[in-house]
Amino acid sequence: MRRRLAAAAALTGAALLISACGTADAEPDGGDATGGTATVKVQLQWFFQAQFAGYIAAVEQGFYAEEGLDVELIEGGVDIVPQTVLAQGQADYAIAWVPKALASREQGAQITDVGQIFARSGTYQVAFADSGISGPADLRGKKVGNWGFGNEFELFAAMTQAGLDPGSDVTLVQQQFDMQALLRGDIDAAQAMSYNEYAQLLEAENPDTGELYTPEDFTVLDWNEVGTAMLQDAIWADTSKLDDPAYQEQTVKFLTGTIKGWAYCRDNPEECRDLSVAAGSTLGASHQLWQVNEVNKLIWPSSGGIGLIDEADWARTVELSLATKNQDGQTVLTAEPEGLAYTNDYINQALEAAAADGVDVTGSGFTPLTVTLNPGGA
Amino acid sequence: MSLRAAGPPIAVGLAGLALWEATVRLGRVASYVLPAPSAIADQFWASRAVVLSAGLASGTNALIGLLAGSVLGVLVALAVSRLRLLSEVSVPLAALVNALPIIALAPVLNNMFDAASSVPRRIVVGLVAFFPVFVNTLRGLRQVQPIHQELMASYAAGGWTFARLVRLPGALPFVFTGLRQASSLAVIAAVVAEYFGGLQDGLGARITSAASLTAYPRAWAFVVGACLLGLVFYLTTLLLERLAMPWRTRISP
Repeated sequence: MRRRLAAAAALTGAALLISACGTADAEPDGGDATGGTATVKVQLQWFFQAQFAGYIAAVEQGFYAEEGLDVELIEGGVDIVPQTVLAQGQADYAIAWVPKALASREQGAQITDVGQIFARSGTYQVAFADSGISGPADLRGKKVGNWGFGNEFELFAAMTQAGLDPGSDVTLVQQQFDMQALLRGDIDAAQAMSYNEYAQLLEAENPDTGELYTPEDFTVLDWNEVGTAMLQDAIWADTSKLDDPAYQEQTVKFLTGTIKGWAYCRDNPEECRDLSVAAGSTLGASHQLWQVNEVNKLIWPSSGGIGLIDEADWARTVELSLATKNQDGQTVLTAEPEGLAYTNDYINQALEAAAADGVDVTGSGFTPLTVTLNPGGA
Repeated sequence: MSLRAAGPPIAVGLAGLALWEATVRLGRVASYVLPAPSAIADQFWASRAVVLSAGLASGTNALIGLLAGSVLGVLVALAVSRLRLLSEVSVPLAALVNALPIIALAPVLNNMFDAASSVPRRIVVGLVAFFPVFVNTLRGLRQVQPIHQELMASYAAGGWTFARLVRLPGALPFVFTGLRQASSLAVIAAVVAEYFGGLQDGLGARITSAASLTAYPRAWAFVVGACLLGLVFYLTTLLLERLAMPWRTRISP
């Protein structure tokens, strides 16, 4: 009997420990009482690379410091879910794709999109030009690569739209985060980000010619054109803390610095390439310049100003999240997002502040570079 | 196991689940941290068809890998036990294979073989299953009683006859000890190997996919599926052990 009591006590203790480290209740936040430089932690969704060049530049060029913020960028990785890190109070802001973050919200993560940095989707599905795949309907019966981890819903939406059931009409294969499976022919079509994996294809040598592959060697399905694009990199804030005037002010300052950082990378792509390489990106300099340039294309020109959430884009993302089924018939969301899922209140203030400082926040005259990739991205 | 013996563990298990449920409800633990057992049960029931088909996919990989690894383990043990020199180098070598972490092996094998096939996963399972079967079988083969050895020598029995009639039956309890360890390991290896890409048809792929969408009750439902699969493998091995050695009534390890 005594032993059973001890076991029960141990279980209770463990349960208390778990509840202590992750309650759903909002925790009071002390904030920055001293009025000096506030430390702000930002959880990125992937390793340091030019996808985050604007944030890196804002740190390195002192745009956050001008706002009185000491910003610490935290590297992401395969197993890191930025919105959960944010919801658990381990970061002040997080960078995450909208559908995945909305799924976490539905599970109780108290987060709000306060800045939609990428206005367009950077996800492609790439096949060899001679594969006979020229549209989503051609994926029928093929081995279709994707990364999983919730990055595959634009692809599933496109297949659904074309009348394919992702569960039975194709063979789904989870890709590694390189393009070897496509290049070796293990899969017929591979998921690729315009700014990263697609460049890896163009940095690879075609064994038939001994030269690098060219865009003509591939067919690219671009979800922006297909119509199943979903919103990607957004800045998420802690919803419960948004009631706190100090956090509101900090949010505007953080967004202002971020706008300046991205405007700097639009106007100085080479500098941002160097900053990304210096931050520790693993792929080389030509790859990072390609990445800065492609990421710029996802942001600029921005008719409403960088970071402003477009209601039509938001509505489409939510609708696709509700309607698109994965291979097991599950959707990203089961209901419309409740509460404050997004707000333009803070980005509007930040856009005003940045414009007042002479920053071009729409980039209407933006013209992308033509980047030459070197073998292996060097 | 009698009903009397099964009572206490079941009671403790149920009490644990009740406590878990109460903690989540009263302590209001966010479901992205720890879902309640009732939420997991709901998801398990709602996804039962998918859990079954995914379990069959992972289970097939585990079974094929387990069979291949076990047969190889027994054969290598038979060969090695005959040759003293081989025997001395083989155990450290096998230990080396055993020390290979799945997380290092799976991506390498995915690159070596067609990533869109199940072959790399089955090889991972095979390698994981090989070690316990090999080491235990080898130990069993070395326990031949001198009197049996002399008897077979007096009959001028050949190597294979000797192995078939004396050494293997004598080693059978040890073989099954290895198999029991390997059966659970095989399921774990098959599920973990799915974390590194390849066909999205099994339990491991479902767990990562659900977890990345913060759908933890669903992720846990597939974890429960993996536990049940491991249990099926273990109990099947116990049953085979009993059938193969009816003279040994003891079934608990």
